[in-house]
Amino acid sequence: MTTMTLAHLNDTSEDVTQRPPLVLGDNDFASITEKVCSAVEMTRTPKIWWVLFGISSSVMTMLLALIGYLFYTGVGVWGVNNPVGWGFAIVNFVFWVGIGHAGTLISAILYLFRQKWRTGINRFAEAMTIFAVICALVFPGIHVGRVWMVWFLFPIPDQQLWMWPNFRSPLLWDVFAVGTYFTVSLLFWYMGLLPDIATLRDRAKTKLRETVYGVFALGWRSSNRHWSRYERAYLILAALATPLVLSVHSVVSFDFAVSQLPGWHTTIFPPYFVAGAIFSGFAMVVFLAAIARKIYGLQEIITLRHLENMNKIILATGSMVGYAYGMEFFIAWYGGNPYESFAFASRAFGPYWWAYWIMVSCNVICPQLYWFKKIRTSVPAMMVIAFFVNVGMWFERFVITVTSLSADFLPSSWDMYWPTWVDVCTLIGSFGLFFTLFLLFIRWLPMVAMAEVKSIMPQAHAHGHSTGSAAGMAPSKPKIAEVVG
Amino acid sequence: MCRKTSEGPFDDREDTVSAPNRAIDLSGEQITLGPVGDRVTRIAGAIGVLGLVATALLGMQGGVEGQARAMNSYLVAFCFFLSIMLGALFFTLIQHVTRAGWSVVLRRFAEAIAANAPLMAVLALPILVPIALGRDLLYVWTSSEALAHDHLMAGKVGFLNPTFFLIRMVVYFGAWSLMGSWFFRKSVEQDTSGDPNLTVKMQSASAPGLFVFAITLTFASLDLLMSLEPNWFSTMFGVYFFAGSALAFFATLPIVSYFTQKAGRLVGLISREHYHDMGKFVFAFIVFWAYIAFSQYMLYWYANIPEETVWFLRRQTGQWESLSWLLLFGHFIVPFLALISRIPKRAKGTLIVGAFWMLLMHYADLYYVAMPHLSEGVIPLSLMDLTAMLGVGGFFVASVATRLRNRSLVPQRDPRLHESLAFENF
Repeated sequence: MTTMTLAHLNDTSEDVTQRPPLVLGDNDFASITEKVCSAVEMTRTPKIWWVLFGISSSVMTMLLALIGYLFYTGVGVWGVNNPVGWGFAIVNFVFWVGIGHAGTLISAILYLFRQKWRTGINRFAEAMTIFAVICALVFPGIHVGRVWMVWFLFPIPDQQLWMWPNFRSPLLWDVFAVGTYFTVSLLFWYMGLLPDIATLRDRAKTKLRETVYGVFALGWRSSNRHWSRYERAYLILAALATPLVLSVHSVVSFDFAVSQLPGWHTTIFPPYFVAGAIFSGFAMVVFLAAIARKIYGLQEIITLRHLENMNKIILATGSMVGYAYGMEFFIAWYGGNPYESFAFASRAFGPYWWAYWIMVSCNVICPQLYWFKKIRTSVPAMMVIAFFVNVGMWFERFVITVTSLSADFLPSSWDMYWPTWVDVCTLIGSFGLFFTLFLLFIRWLPMVAMAEVKSIMPQAHAHGHSTGSAAGMAPSKPKIAEVVG
Repeated sequence: MCRKTSEGPFDDREDTVSAPNRAIDLSGEQITLGPVGDRVTRIAGAIGVLGLVATALLGMQGGVEGQARAMNSYLVAFCFFLSIMLGALFFTLIQHVTRAGWSVVLRRFAEAIAANAPLMAVLALPILVPIALGRDLLYVWTSSEALAHDHLMAGKVGFLNPTFFLIRMVVYFGAWSLMGSWFFRKSVEQDTSGDPNLTVKMQSASAPGLFVFAITLTFASLDLLMSLEPNWFSTMFGVYFFAGSALAFFATLPIVSYFTQKAGRLVGLISREHYHDMGKFVFAFIVFWAYIAFSQYMLYWYANIPEETVWFLRRQTGQWESLSWLLLFGHFIVPFLALISRIPKRAKGTLIVGAFWMLLMHYADLYYVAMPHLSEGVIPLSLMDLTAMLGVGGFFVASVATRLRNRSLVPQRDPRLHESLAFENF
């Protein structure tokens, strides 16, 4: 790797006569195993990891302390009021669920579309999905005033208390939608990890490592029968996860859209929320991938082309979000409902105008820079844009939630909403939780799906066609000895 | 990702064309329509003329009411074929933007259908000319009398007025004609020059093309269909029309492939693997259409606001209710269950039956959108519905056949043709 020049690492050419190799450099199966496993097996953890872990776990501790404070004192410590009964808690919930959309899209939908480049990035994108959903699930859990009643969220049949929850409430649909999504994503992720955990087990130098990885490898021996089952299960899980990618944020959007509140009640909400979720999820993946590939020297596996492809998806989904903003505005006028047109005018020019224009400039204008190849292949530029996209998507949820609630039909019931320091620090704390989990993941588990990456390398092709057939030929499975490495 | 497996009922590779190094017949007879194209043009053209004349004659008989009825039949037929053309344009654009390899042998069909855009502009004249002449046969907002009585509709006059409407139509059809013709021309040019730079050019044009496509399709659907009931509105409507359009094209594609192969063309080039993939897209867009239709319906049903539910209420009153049920089962539940397995997608026969059924359901969907404003509680089936379909459809098919008569049916020197010929589903 040290002999590689920068030019070799740029694989973003537009040569249409042949597909670029998916893994760069002079890699074979053994070197892939070596590179990916070294991040997990290194005896001395890099200093930068400790620094980042120290920061994020401290921030996570702040989150825990604030949750304790909230439970002890009550939701009065937040800025929620009447009429804005939904404040940061729902904004953060929708934001984090949105972040959790890229992983399963990459592992399920891109798999069904035979997008082989996804193998380089799917593992940690999936991990990110799971951690983001965990962050999201914190908020519905803590936002109820009487936390000891939180089990009311779940549909526990209880004949005596007559306590079936209201199945007509979209908040209950959320429990099902997010719960299902989390379960399937976790299974998908874990199943994909099995061959790689087995590799770690077989390479383990200490008894403890061997035992722990051995338990989690579930007896994986890379036999032909294992692979056969594995591939069948992968396809089935991909098919099940694909509708879930769309359903989760659709159901989240129903929380708003089934109501009669101007600005919330509009039919484009489901696909618009899904597009926004994928948009923010990919921005987060790009941001983290750009850092991780540098620190762990994985530029030949997570290549510039991966990042460019994701930036194109960000451009596409960002524009879909812009389309939805435009349609909402147009129909607010076209529909002729004065409350609706007021809601939108007030978003753009009312007391929260600044939030609205942060949202528009970050979500709609900023990704348009990706029309320029120079920008979408420049790592610093994409990190800045990805950061702004996530800022913009957080503000989108803020704008939707707060502007509509704070000024509805009756001016006498209007009120402004301002977050308290507890609100703001809880939001920051949730990032601490996310990054703590993420850092633990890259320390203990392979962040690249080794077995899958090997399957798309030329060495895996049965007849040794090395170029020109990358997308056309069916790769055979890597040989057992090589997988174990 | 493709992986090879080999197991009993699915092991149908012996009759596909997936042997890696087999010789592919790209001789003229295999890949051009030739005399078959002439025959199709003649027959379809004759049907087209007869259909349009019959529609006009039947419409004339009924006075103003009959004319309005004929116009509505014509609008549904027009939107049906327009949606197939737009679906084809979408397919062409999306294949380029994703640098797709699997679809190369099918892309020429899409390009040829998308190049029908100028024809659709001409066929739009029967809708546009009466509006330009101040007749209010189709859209209630063109009637000054109706505007005087409807305060809500009058508020939209800045958008819904004949002049602006016609300007918008010029923009839509202009944009589609430019894109449809350009992609067809460049692709055909590559057949002779073999220049890979043409692929680069088409790829670069496809991304901005999709932007133009999304905006024009959305507003065209609002103008042509949603404004039939101008007081009703839905932010989802453009996406709903798009879902139907994409589905209509994906159902058309296997049908066109099948009949082309039946005529002895492209035999061995379009394989069972391609039918399987087309079947997957039909299936995917059945689900996508249902997702969009459900979201639109459920959100209005749940909030239960009169000015929004009125549109659905009309479609659940009297005979229209049966059409609503037909769409639920015929457009979603039955085909969803029928196509979920890989077996029917890989068996040409069942896939073609399914594709024809989906086209019928797409027609039912457009009828469901465009007709109920005419008749309360009664489905006004008329012979004109059939003649209008034959009229527009005849010209549509004749035009595609003419375009392909002497041209290659596959982009034969596309740099990714070999990928399309070699790929396999696992």
